[in-house]
Amino acid sequence: MTGTGTAGAEMAGAGTAGAGTAGAGTAGAEMAGAEMVGAGMSGVQDLAERLLAAGESPPRAGRDPVNLPMIRNWLEALGDANPAYERDGVAPPAMIQVWTMRGLPPGVTAPEGEPGAGDPLGEMSVALDAAGFPNVVATDSEQEYHRPLRVGEQVSVRSRLESVTGPKRTSLGEGWFVTTRSTWFSGAEPVATMRFRILKYRNISGASRPDTAGLGTATDEGPATGEGPAAGGARAGVGGGAALRPVVTADTAFFWDGTAAGELRIQRCGECGALRHPPGPACPRCGALKQEHTVAAGTGTVHSFVVCHHPPVPGRRAPWTVGLIDLTEGVRMVGEVRSARPIAIGDPVRAEIVDGLPVWRPGVPVLEPLTLAVTPTLIISAALATRDLQDVHHDRDAAVRRGGRDIFLNILTTTGLVQRYVTDRLPGAVVRGVSIRLGTPCFAYDTLTFTGEVYPGGVVEVVGRTESGAHVTGKVQVST
Amino acid sequence: MICAVAGIGATEFSKESGRSELRLAVEAVRAALDDAGLRPADVSGLVTFGMDNNPEIAVARELGMGELSFLSRIGYGGGAACAVVQQAVLAVGAGLADVVVCYRALNERSGRRFGRAVAAPDPDSGWHHPMGLATPAAMVAMVARRYLHDHGASADDFGRVAVAMRRHAATNPRAWFHGRPITLDEHRASRWIAEPLRLLDCCQESDGAVALVVTSLERARDLTGRPAVIAAAAQGSGPDQYVMTSYYRDPVAALPEMGVAARQVWERSGFGPADVRTAVLYDHFTPYVLMQLEELGFCGRGEARHLVADGGIELGGRLPVNPHGGQLGEAYIHGMNGIAEAVRQVRGSAVNQVPGDGPVLVTAGTGVPTSALILRGD
Repeated sequence: MTGTGTAGAEMAGAGTAGAGTAGAGTAGAEMAGAEMVGAGMSGVQDLAERLLAAGESPPRAGRDPVNLPMIRNWLEALGDANPAYERDGVAPPAMIQVWTMRGLPPGVTAPEGEPGAGDPLGEMSVALDAAGFPNVVATDSEQEYHRPLRVGEQVSVRSRLESVTGPKRTSLGEGWFVTTRSTWFSGAEPVATMRFRILKYRNISGASRPDTAGLGTATDEGPATGEGPAAGGARAGVGGGAALRPVVTADTAFFWDGTAAGELRIQRCGECGALRHPPGPACPRCGALKQEHTVAAGTGTVHSFVVCHHPPVPGRRAPWTVGLIDLTEGVRMVGEVRSARPIAIGDPVRAEIVDGLPVWRPGVPVLEPLTLAVTPTLIISAALATRDLQDVHHDRDAAVRRGGRDIFLNILTTTGLVQRYVTDRLPGAVVRGVSIRLGTPCFAYDTLTFTGEVYPGGVVEVVGRTESGAHVTGKVQVST
Repeated sequence: MICAVAGIGATEFSKESGRSELRLAVEAVRAALDDAGLRPADVSGLVTFGMDNNPEIAVARELGMGELSFLSRIGYGGGAACAVVQQAVLAVGAGLADVVVCYRALNERSGRRFGRAVAAPDPDSGWHHPMGLATPAAMVAMVARRYLHDHGASADDFGRVAVAMRRHAATNPRAWFHGRPITLDEHRASRWIAEPLRLLDCCQESDGAVALVVTSLERARDLTGRPAVIAAAAQGSGPDQYVMTSYYRDPVAALPEMGVAARQVWERSGFGPADVRTAVLYDHFTPYVLMQLEELGFCGRGEARHLVADGGIELGGRLPVNPHGGQLGEAYIHGMNGIAEAVRQVRGSAVNQVPGDGPVLVTAGTGVPTSALILRGD
């Protein structure tokens, strides 16, 4: 059963349509034809059908071969100090999309009369612009890297339209999801693939700003992760404010004194030694009024759990997960569970004390968090290093005009930062794939903190949070 | 002494009554007395829920009742529903009062909504609320998830309960969801509240009031309303009992407190599950209907889903449950509207009348110290 989040949630995210995947074309995929209505829609529908029928586009070559200057710019902008790339003369895997980015957006550089020519994503974007859906956010990117690219290799890309669904109501406004699938080649050899999804949308009238329009706050569409107390990031109506505080009595003070000291305590009868939770003044087993306590190892398994969506609860951002945990010592305890992955009954978990409350995390190795101050310099230099010249990533006026609070990270950078976090923390790991879903935008002056959990099979689940919620949830496949 | 419900009364059920809870209480009590053919001055006892905001003395003042010799309240939210009737039976049986009125009035939708998270003042809530488990739906969802795990049930099994209740409500003009049945697909499509519970697994929030007049069967026979004999009334609390969060005993997905109440009413009434014509089961959340069917002995543990899947709890089924639509369909008056429905079923005056002359079982709030009743015809 699922943990948090809902499968297939159409979470509008930040970032931008990487304008890079070229080609015309496609293969069969499901599309919401029945939902397409209206005059502008018929153009969208016609184009979608044509592109779906067209299959995979012809290859389009990247402007430059894989080269060290672009690699260095990219590493510098993202703060990635991994020495392996320069040493071995290979490109960071998460750069794959960069090599075939067009630079300026399609429609600007495409040949006259052929807006976004040959690129199904570009063509759909132009058609949706015309149909009244001018804004774009990228929502998902799933990349697989078959092998590292070496300096000097010339890559090309072929893309096909996978699906067009809409119009859908999202937290940003009404819009269409466009999904493409791209394959990069070195010569005839496929070297990487990507599924990429964007939302083309029109603003909710009068409340179009992504940061206030409920992006990342829509309780039905949240990312697949629980959220902690929203210190500083709390907003009205989304469970802001401090967490509910316990009523502390003389019988329960030892427990809360323990969490304040960073310990998880269990009541132990001073007479018969019986452990008990929740605690009380007497021992139900022997009747003694001799309360003592022991410190729990902080390990256990999930007996049951709830994924809370509604109504809001102070200090929580939906959806959040609460578990009923069987402690190793034999007592049972309720606590929030924070896991990048959906949890299941029987899963091992271990406790941490966060803000004076026990929080349970999956019983797998975790990566040390990485906190980044997201400066305009980071956003802009990384946008340039990823050859993403969408104005919302370097021009604050344009970002505000399009509904943002400020410029924000593009999805190629977020992908790169996820890769950097994992390789920073697992030196020597080779990244084989990065799949991410974007949540709340990461704006200039946000603080972005990555956390990660390492699962068997070389899967690292990563979450990147800002003060406003989960910016990115993702999965990185590594080999060593 | 054998006692009976001699009168029932209620306001309309709405989302915004537009009047005070006290006025709702007064209207319902007056209606119940009218139904019984009694005057306010005939009342000598009043009983309500611990959670009710209307003092007994205020209700008495407004209705001009005069002297009262018995005043009582029962705690634990909706678990009180059948227990207030038991209080009345005890008072009448002990000669402490002659006519006792039980009432519950609340603006639960337009006033304070129970579904919202609030900081509770009791120490027990400290083990749940600060951890983010702060609403009734979430507390029930913890049990519901374990129930699914233990018995291989699915969320559709919860959905079938909601569909049945809404089907019944659809033909009940007093029900908020009159004329608005739902399908299983609509249940599947309704939004998550607390996984595995969806919106349509949760009962509605209502404004309204219900009152019941209890007196001796002997006296009831002389009154205008057709008496519903109280064959048994019982309370129950289980081992290691908490309010909505009895998570520290095994199995978690069970309602032993309901078993305590059930064993008593079967024994005292002489009836068994096979005798019951229709059951009014407390349905604030769908999973607890399944668990009650098992706890009350209508099927084996973990088997309620088969009973429900076969239409067994619908009108015409093996055990029609909540012919009025329950709290999922009619209104959420903390279980008291279900007792009124049981009285109508005994009288033969219900809109969705279940044929036969067998007894009617009623249960009160689940997941809390609870209570149960068996009513029968005279």
